[in-house]
Amino acid sequence: MTKEIYLQRRPKIALHQRVPRLLVTLGLSLIALIYAFPLLWMTVSGLKTNQQIFREPFALPETLDFSIWVEAWQVGNIGQYALNSAITTSVTVVVILFAGSAAAFAFSRYQFRGRGALMGLLSLGLLLPLQSYFIAQSTMFNALYITNTRFALIIPYIAMGLPLATYLLTVYLKALPDELFEAARMEGASDFMIYRLIAMPLLKPGLATVGIFSALTSWNEFLLALLYIQDDALKTIPTGLLAFSSRYVTDYGLLFAALTIVTLPMIIIYIAFNKQIVEGLTAGSLK
Amino acid sequence: MKAEKPWVPILFLAPALAFFIFAVLVPMVATAGLSFTNWSGFGEFTFVGFANYVELASDDIFAKSFTNVLLYIFATLILEVLVGLCLAGLISVQKSGSLWFRVALFAPVMLPMVVVAVLWSFIYNPDFGLVNGALTAVGLEDFTRIWLGDPDTALLAISIVSGWVFSGFFMVIFYSALQQVPGELSEAARLDGANEWQIFWSVKIPFIRNAIEVGVLLCVTGAFQGFDLFFVLTNGGPFNATEIPTTLLVRTVFRNADVGYGSAMAVVLTLVILVVGWMFVRIRKWNDQKELRR
Repeated sequence: MTKEIYLQRRPKIALHQRVPRLLVTLGLSLIALIYAFPLLWMTVSGLKTNQQIFREPFALPETLDFSIWVEAWQVGNIGQYALNSAITTSVTVVVILFAGSAAAFAFSRYQFRGRGALMGLLSLGLLLPLQSYFIAQSTMFNALYITNTRFALIIPYIAMGLPLATYLLTVYLKALPDELFEAARMEGASDFMIYRLIAMPLLKPGLATVGIFSALTSWNEFLLALLYIQDDALKTIPTGLLAFSSRYVTDYGLLFAALTIVTLPMIIIYIAFNKQIVEGLTAGSLK
Repeated sequence: MKAEKPWVPILFLAPALAFFIFAVLVPMVATAGLSFTNWSGFGEFTFVGFANYVELASDDIFAKSFTNVLLYIFATLILEVLVGLCLAGLISVQKSGSLWFRVALFAPVMLPMVVVAVLWSFIYNPDFGLVNGALTAVGLEDFTRIWLGDPDTALLAISIVSGWVFSGFFMVIFYSALQQVPGELSEAARLDGANEWQIFWSVKIPFIRNAIEVGVLLCVTGAFQGFDLFFVLTNGGPFNATEIPTTLLVRTVFRNADVGYGSAMAVVLTLVILVVGWMFVRIRKWNDQKELRR
């Protein structure tokens, strides 16, 4: 009833109400332009020569020559860095999803001795900053010859991501009705079958959320990647790009092009999956 | 549900616990242990008791790094949380067409901080950067400067980059909270003659207080752990004007090979972050109880 009245009244908004609306729209467009401007400037500058960049920082490029993107891709070794990031990220995410969901299954579906203590132990990871452990971690990794291998990033990324993943998945699993699991047990399903055939399929939305923010954190992580990987062939995008930018300090066109190549796919991914990504990132930080 | 065998739950937990204990817990305890030594990263070391902590207490640069991070927190609370809140308020007034707006503002959150940092090092570039270019274009040549090379502006310049990245993130958090505000509440206020601005401040903001408190905590603990932007843009310089605990500690350990001393810094920083988080939880509990008693 109230809804109908609202819908009918809507077109009759008086002019003095419409003008502020219009102002808000204009203001918002201006703000969006200011926020987007650095990225637009980066894309445009990547298509200019060094002289043009210096002479007219705001001008559009004289010619549209996308071959510089190819050059940046090859010279900057970006394909290799992207491949390294993809390997590190996918292994990390897969392990986090399996180990995290298994732990969440144990915490949410069983009563056992030490459950509270182990949950407390793992949730320490929600509070501890990276700074509390990375010094000794690097020493350990050196001693075990893990430094300068892919495992030097994959292992800590998994360990850092697991507490939050386990916590969120436990919340998801606890919300499922007990009868579901009891019924499967009555049918004679083993513990592992219940985890595999009942918990996992029902967890899909939770796994997607956890997967998204785990993937983004490991794709973008910088500090450990800087400390643990010196071998250029193993560098991920953040450290690889930094190495590239210190090798070609003054070739601005090339650097802008490299930044654009790294940025555009992420923006396209964001536009395609913006709902899931926003959900994943906010759930990941709001805990 | 009862397990078939008593060890089944432990089996499910084993992989997660193994990673966590190996890569976080053991190194954390070891870092705390190293803080009582004078180890240089190689060879022998001796226990020196609290000597590192005593030295830290009178270390001017360490103190300065905390002052800087506090200034940075203050700036980011405004540039990230407050700006994010205002933006969320603006788009909640505007009901349609806000998707592209959100895309433009949220996109930087997706990007690796290193990419953001390299991009902004160009924006602040004294020769062809956007900032000086824009100032010159509107006739304010006198205000152009080497933003990241000037001790007076470097920290602010970095804070602005932080704001550019994270205000969109906080906007999204607050926007989804604002949508939980029941329509009847703002309608009632409107009937009582309140304008949009009053409704926003007096009705909606109190309603989403919880989200704002979490936002503040995220911003503060996030700022304490900041590193990427500072390392790429200034690495603590000029003259320690942008030195924060993390850049200082990375340099102490990995450049100067002063592992013991750096570990002591790490322990102090960890304690500060944990105390801030703990205080925050206490304050919230206390507020909630006050609410109940009312």
